[in-house]
Amino acid sequence: MTAKEILKIENLRTYFDTWAGLVKAVDGVNLDVREGETLGLVGESGSGKSVTALSILGIVPRPGKIIDGKIIFKGENLLEKSESELQKIRGKEIAYIFQDPSTSLNPVLSIANQLIEVIMRHQEVTKKEALEKAIALLKLVEIPDPELKIWSYPHQLSGGMKQRIAVARALSCQPSLLLADEPTTSLDVTIQAQILTLMRDLTKKLNMSMILITHDMGVVAEMADRITVIYAGRICETADTRTIFYKPKHPYTVALLTAVPSLALRKEKLAVIPGTIPNLIEPPSGCRFHPRCQYAKAACAKEIPSLKEVEPGHFVACIRSHEIDIKSPLGAKANE
Amino acid sequence: MKRKETAKSKMQSQNEKRIKKGVSQWNIAWRRFKKNRAALAGALIVGFVVFLATFDALIAPYAPNETPGFYTGETRNPPSLKYLFGTDYIGKDVFSQVVYGSRSALFVGFASAGIAMSLAILVGLISGYYGGMIDNILMRVSEIFLVIPFLLILLVFLKVINVITPGGGGLSMVVLMIGLFSWAADARLIRGEVLRVKESTFVEASKSLGASKRRIVFRHIFPNVLHIIIVLTTLMIASAILVEAAISFLGFGDAAAITWGQQLQKANEAVKEAWWEGVFPGLFITLLVLGFSLLGNGLRDALDPRLRE
Repeated sequence: MTAKEILKIENLRTYFDTWAGLVKAVDGVNLDVREGETLGLVGESGSGKSVTALSILGIVPRPGKIIDGKIIFKGENLLEKSESELQKIRGKEIAYIFQDPSTSLNPVLSIANQLIEVIMRHQEVTKKEALEKAIALLKLVEIPDPELKIWSYPHQLSGGMKQRIAVARALSCQPSLLLADEPTTSLDVTIQAQILTLMRDLTKKLNMSMILITHDMGVVAEMADRITVIYAGRICETADTRTIFYKPKHPYTVALLTAVPSLALRKEKLAVIPGTIPNLIEPPSGCRFHPRCQYAKAACAKEIPSLKEVEPGHFVACIRSHEIDIKSPLGAKANE
Repeated sequence: MKRKETAKSKMQSQNEKRIKKGVSQWNIAWRRFKKNRAALAGALIVGFVVFLATFDALIAPYAPNETPGFYTGETRNPPSLKYLFGTDYIGKDVFSQVVYGSRSALFVGFASAGIAMSLAILVGLISGYYGGMIDNILMRVSEIFLVIPFLLILLVFLKVINVITPGGGGLSMVVLMIGLFSWAADARLIRGEVLRVKESTFVEASKSLGASKRRIVFRHIFPNVLHIIIVLTTLMIASAILVEAAISFLGFGDAAAITWGQQLQKANEAVKEAWWEGVFPGLFITLLVLGFSLLGNGLRDALDPRLRE
């Protein structure tokens, strides 16, 4: 646990000023990513995962705005940088992989053009060298016949192939941090496994850090070294993957784990977390999870829980975490 | 059996070629365009007029200002072998005039559309991409241009210019005026398309990879709205040719220029006696406008991503 932090987010607040009101999509997020590690950022849809990642790059879509906080990347606060400085970091130091590969590639440009564009923007190379690099990238992401395939257009490729290209494009300048926003959600299961294996191998090979955003607990279990659980724009719990799965301290984490369909547990019905993610214009007072939490008591609605270190490296934001006795649904397995 | 095999091998070799070259959306559009007969007819008509305009001096039997019938008394003579489309009121050969007029028509069409579309593209891209205040201002300005009666204001402007500076810049002034007054509707259409494309993930993706705003607009958004721009340009050319003909016919155009509209205006006084003086230029106006319209519609069908099979 002595590895250096490459990214540290402190108290990030990103609000969307919509006509319906101020949407507090990210409201005081703290997280850190260490060198070479994969951090799983887990939460329901609408919990602020993507907005957090977009905030890191400073490309939150309008009317979103970063109100407060610090995003320290390699010792420098990204929020203090100008747009042109950020443009040099985007794609070169930090790259983003989007959820749906069928829309994240420009339909009118060939793969070659799209890769060359990124390579030439961040590196001092001629077009010919850039093309060679692009072909090498396609080899890296295991695309057959890269010399031929590079001239094709997105509509000629399958979804899995397109996501490989999107991965190649993100890796083109060997960024030190990769933000993968549900990179496999829109792919079918066998392709998912392929892409995930590829990404895991490549991050190891190139010693990259990665934030893997997902709502799929199975995916993070496979991929992540540590996991941060986010709910309604706030962090609930951060710990290494084993701890999150076998010794979670936050009721929401447990609820998430319970909702994972599992062949081993063979339940009759799929477990669900009652209710939906709250309206972020007027979020619940105190702990945002308390209306859906089975352990909630009066104090939960009043006090905003802060992220406390309960064990080395294990942070929990729950005022009752010390008094309630919760068990992971996978607990039995942990003892084996 | 054998035929089947050759067809198969042909398909294979074609397939290899396609893989090597990559099938861009333009390839697909071209394939679809080729199948559209009306569009091909349009292209043929336009090609024919372009041919006339290019080789006008070779095709026309007489020089632009020559009045071969004037001295022989052959004014307003009906079509004959000597004068294919007859002669006009001062003995000019109508056929030669129509041929020279084709160059003016194309000049008016391309130049006016060039001016109008440049403005429309600029306004559409800026308005659509930047949005907010800039968008608001540009769109209100375009609304002003949309609500004023187009032909009327053109006529007034041309008249005023003619009064201030007699001669008034001639055909180029007409072209400039048409261009300046017809961008608004197309700017709004392009803006709408930009708004659609702007929200695409690939725009966000290129932003996340460090692309500057200018690069996103020109490299990523522009090619994705080019299809609508091409269609609008073709239709704009057709409408500019019509507008110039109308202006000339009403006597507000450049009387010194040889245009089909000017020919119509002069033929106007003797429609009954010399139908050929007006019918042939009129026919060519119709033909060329029809050609551009067919071409435009064909291009729209070929380029519209929603119609992609």
